[in-house]
Amino acid sequence: MEPPKERVKFIQTDLVLPYHYYAGDYKALYLRALKDKKILGSKCSATGKVFVPPLMSSPDAHAPCEEIVELPDKGIVTTFCVVNVPVYGRDIELPYVVASVALDGADVSIYGLVQECKAEDVEMGTRVQAVWKPDGERQGDHTDIKYFKPTGEPKAPLESFIHRL
Amino acid sequence: MKAPTSVEPMSQRMTVQFPYKRSTGEVTGRFLAGLKEQKKIWGRRIAGQGVVVPPNSYSEVDAKSGGEWVEVKDEGTITAVGIVAKPVADLHPSDASFAYVLVKLDGADTSLAHIVKDRLGELKVGARVKAVWAPDGERKGTIRDIACFQLVG
Repeated sequence: MEPPKERVKFIQTDLVLPYHYYAGDYKALYLRALKDKKILGSKCSATGKVFVPPLMSSPDAHAPCEEIVELPDKGIVTTFCVVNVPVYGRDIELPYVVASVALDGADVSIYGLVQECKAEDVEMGTRVQAVWKPDGERQGDHTDIKYFKPTGEPKAPLESFIHRL
Repeated sequence: MKAPTSVEPMSQRMTVQFPYKRSTGEVTGRFLAGLKEQKKIWGRRIAGQGVVVPPNSYSEVDAKSGGEWVEVKDEGTITAVGIVAKPVADLHPSDASFAYVLVKLDGADTSLAHIVKDRLGELKVGARVKAVWAPDGERKGTIRDIACFQLVG
């Protein structure tokens, strides 16, 4: 005797990973401040570099960053990519632009969408400004900034952001 | 501004899911069909390894393909135990405390990984267990067609 010739062809093995994520003090401050349309960073006590989202210690100097600073919601597109393929769970008209944005006064970039312009109009150095969710809709999470839009100002020279990608 | 010394904790629950659909292949596919259709556990006699359960299509010793189907008992001896006292819902195969076990089924030379749900305090290497089958009509051709193993006696 043998097992059935007609085999089971597939098995469904769904992997489910339930996380309980704790933001930590600095990330909690950062996210709660978004609700008030404020972007917070932290300043390194040794080098003066400003990190956003705020870090408790700087990764290069290994020094504490005990000072919290508020950053403007304007900055520069440093690097970006044009997305031409649909991504599961993201309902944005193609093509769209995802960019690293160096906020004025920050030494590192944050990620955001760039909208209200054609994808081909986005360049390294394009000046952008955050577009926030309206009052009452902001929840204190990273989606409170809906996207960045070009300000129309002259594009920033490469030297001004090459070290802040 | 100086960073505040006390911040209200912030946390979020989120679930990451990977919905895998896996192709079984010839040997595992027939092993699973045996569980579903026959309520039998099949192994393969493979050169250099003895009777391997669950079966492979090749030898792990010399990588040669082939092997002869051998039915093994749905009863065997525990070779390893790990108790999960506080299972995580949706991640683990049981919502109540359970144990992962390796069972060397009678007639087999390797051990099968499965779970035991009852009398966890009595589990130990060498203990005898028997398969509890999912009822007819509820077996779907997965390893969970054996609902769990249960201590004998």
